[in-house]
Amino acid sequence: MSYIGNITDTFSSIFEGMSITFSQFFRPAYTVQYPDRMPVRVQDTLPYRYRGILEVDLEICTGCLACERACPINCIVIDAEKNKETKALVLKRFDIDMAKCMYCGLCSEPCPTGSIHHTREFEGSDYSLESLVRRFVKVPVDAYKPKKTGENDPAIVPILERGMRYIEEFAQPEKKAS
Amino acid sequence: MQGFIDSLLATTTTGLSRELAYLGGMIGFGALVVFGFILPMAGITSWLERRVWAKIQSRVGPNRVGPGGFLQWLADGLKNLLKEDVIPEAADPTLFRLAPYIVVAGFVAAFVAIPFAGSLIIADLNIGILYISAVTSLVVVGILMAGWSSNNRWSMLGGIRSASQIISYEIPAGLSVFPVVLLSGTLSMQGIIENQGWAPVDWHMFHSPFTLAAFLMSYIALLAEGNRTPFDLPEAESELVAGFATEYSGMRSLLFFLAEWGNLYVIGAIMATLFMGGWQVPAFTDNVVLLTVAQFGMFFAKTYFWVFVAMWIRATLPRVRVDQLMSLCWKYMVPIAMVNMFGTALVMVVIPEGSRLMSYALCGLMLFGLVRFGRRVNYHLKRSRRYDTVGAIMPV
Amino acid sequence: MSVEIELAGEGGGLATEEMVLNMGPQHPSTHGVLRFIVTADGEVMRRAVPDIGYLHRSIEKIAEKVGWHGFMPYTDRVDYVAAMTANQGWAMCAERLGGIEVPKRGEYCRVIAAELGRACSHLLGFGAMGMDIGAITPFTHALREREMINDLLEELCGARLTFNYLRIGGVAWDLPPGYEEKVLRFLDRFELAVDEMGELLSDNRIWVERLAGVAPVPPAMAMAYGLAGPNLRASGVNYDCRKAHPYSVYNDFEFDVPVGTGEKGELGDCYDRYICRLREIRQSSRIVRQAIEKIPDGPVIAKVPRNFKPRAGDCHVVLESARGEMDWYCASDGTEYPYRVHIKTGSFTAMSIMEALSPGLMIADLVAVIASFDIVAPEVDR
Repeated sequence: MSYIGNITDTFSSIFEGMSITFSQFFRPAYTVQYPDRMPVRVQDTLPYRYRGILEVDLEICTGCLACERACPINCIVIDAEKNKETKALVLKRFDIDMAKCMYCGLCSEPCPTGSIHHTREFEGSDYSLESLVRRFVKVPVDAYKPKKTGENDPAIVPILERGMRYIEEFAQPEKKAS
Repeated sequence: MQGFIDSLLATTTTGLSRELAYLGGMIGFGALVVFGFILPMAGITSWLERRVWAKIQSRVGPNRVGPGGFLQWLADGLKNLLKEDVIPEAADPTLFRLAPYIVVAGFVAAFVAIPFAGSLIIADLNIGILYISAVTSLVVVGILMAGWSSNNRWSMLGGIRSASQIISYEIPAGLSVFPVVLLSGTLSMQGIIENQGWAPVDWHMFHSPFTLAAFLMSYIALLAEGNRTPFDLPEAESELVAGFATEYSGMRSLLFFLAEWGNLYVIGAIMATLFMGGWQVPAFTDNVVLLTVAQFGMFFAKTYFWVFVAMWIRATLPRVRVDQLMSLCWKYMVPIAMVNMFGTALVMVVIPEGSRLMSYALCGLMLFGLVRFGRRVNYHLKRSRRYDTVGAIMPV
Repeated sequence: MSVEIELAGEGGGLATEEMVLNMGPQHPSTHGVLRFIVTADGEVMRRAVPDIGYLHRSIEKIAEKVGWHGFMPYTDRVDYVAAMTANQGWAMCAERLGGIEVPKRGEYCRVIAAELGRACSHLLGFGAMGMDIGAITPFTHALREREMINDLLEELCGARLTFNYLRIGGVAWDLPPGYEEKVLRFLDRFELAVDEMGELLSDNRIWVERLAGVAPVPPAMAMAYGLAGPNLRASGVNYDCRKAHPYSVYNDFEFDVPVGTGEKGELGDCYDRYICRLREIRQSSRIVRQAIEKIPDGPVIAKVPRNFKPRAGDCHVVLESARGEMDWYCASDGTEYPYRVHIKTGSFTAMSIMEALSPGLMIADLVAVIASFDIVAPEVDR
């Protein structure tokens, strides 16, 4: 009896499975045909918190080295020196080794101005490790100094606004908590 | 083929001798079939298989080369031709090189006796179905050679599995042919088809419950012989890496898959011929060419239906284990195929003319099954509609 | 009348020879880089010895160099299939040593993230198991749903695999606006889709034949080998850290713990492990629903200093990861670097039972057994 039972059970269970797979013929495909057959770029569909390739806005970098200290794999290297004449902090080097970076987002959290931040760009493939090092300082620049009266340089205001928004929505959760 | 050439000779007035025309027709048609039909057909089957899977798996599948990715098979073939042909140092080089050709030869030879239309067949052998089941077994020699000569234990296991599987399943496959041979009284493919009619009631499949069972057994056994899921143990990619084809690269590797996809067509053709009335169409015209085209279309459609079912099964079912494969063969399929054979003989003795009522009843049963299937599909579809609309949260 | 065949030893009197098969580390079904040295007589295995250490990345040692905050992204890599629970283990360690109270909302965020991550991990386990046994469709269906969970988690924390969402003292970011609704909408479809995936496989005769009765682990053996999570529960032992010693806010939720009953074969066989995992997906979605319903307002993270220095001492934290009980041991000497960290994971113990289970199985079974234990290679070695 179990002989017949085995046969009918086999056929009925296969029948059920086949009906499920057949119904798939009338269902939509979920494939996202990256990169060329997309109505919009993938980058534009990513959420705001997406942690892509790091970017630094040198205009608002204070040179506080908080990101360098926070980075668990030391992929950020900053050389900042005091200019003896003007007493200003001069950034001589701000390198991020994107080959080492693990996109953890710990560097952007302590940044006071939102200068270092993740973009939604993720296409970073390149032919050599060397070219994956992003060197942000081409010529030494003065670090940004927050002004007590608020920023009014029209060149910096939009960048700072972006940075502060980034901080508010993304980094420094303690600030919100307290 | 002979008849076709005869009818051509009758309509045209060339001074060709009959024998020369036969020879030329045979070779020409053979070459046409191999290069113009089998190879593209195997390639297109590969493309179709990938598209069918993709559809079942909520994917898109190859769609970049040609319209709908239709020319993907050409691109794959070209790419594989240009690839390096690696022969392992420890392999037996002669056997290693030879194996893919034997496999391909095995399945191409089957096309000699496979009909395409009423007058289109390379050679209407009087032992047609026997010949086909014999030459398709040649594949096992090639696979065993490939497994052995690769000098790789995974390949070896694959080769041995294939040998035991194909040899075992020859028996239920052969036994399932018997009821049809009993009914039609001939082994010739054309003879078997001519014994049936174009209407489903006249098909061998619906002659008696035993032939219906033989039809199912036959399909399962042929799937196993063609190394198709759920019996794809010889290449079981998750168990044996790639089975007998592990060490093969480039075109040689492709030839194995060519044989697999080509074999699908052979399976479909056997099913269509034996049980489903082959190329039989209602006689709607006297025009030989038009009739041939219609017959070819009918045969091709029936064959491809079974090819499609094989793809669909492959996307649905898991793989059986070696011991289960054997117990399925010897404990279930061989006895049932035996019963089918004797049952058909019994039916032929009791009702020599065959019972139309029984045929209609079996047709009705099949229809009932299809309707039930449709309702199940509809049920799953309705449920999926609920969630396919609920959760459109993908970015695009 | 029965025919009796005299079997003169193994192989029915024929001289057979054992062969050594090297399964992995590049074998398609060893889930990452596992290696088994299989001694087989034809298709039947005599022994399968796991060779571990191919993915050892010294994660425990790294903790001693990168500090308390800096170690958090590394915990993602302990078990990259269910990174959220590994995050949570480390956060709980540091919080216990530092005496930090996590805000209620933070805990709820953690539970939502962790349970979504668990469903994610089980889906992958389910799909890969189908793939290993030869059914190719469930894999893509499972990954389809998994991608959607990944989308949700990406919106929550900005990454799809290595989340780094938790922080010592809470979570990094609050739920984004409209997130609750999105998750609920997803769960509505997800539960139906999981049902369908189950229907496609669970009753399929071939599937049952392949799994039922294969490599059963009796409860005593499961406990002796220290199996954890769904693997242990499949053997009929009702032990779930979320119930046994509730951490976080798991006390607030109602959920069942699926336990194996040997419904298709023997107790603790591959089928039980499979079905337990499948049922746990449903329970996870149940927990997420409740969490979203009950989530309170408030901050998501407690105030933790940047140079966090907990008290000297040690602690042992237990939590339920997707692959079972995850034990975190952490010793601190009161500096800004942990003194020693040790992690015990479910995959490691599952790996150790493999040798005891393997004799007499077939090679095809070994694949099913590996898949049914849902071994993730990086978690074995850490």
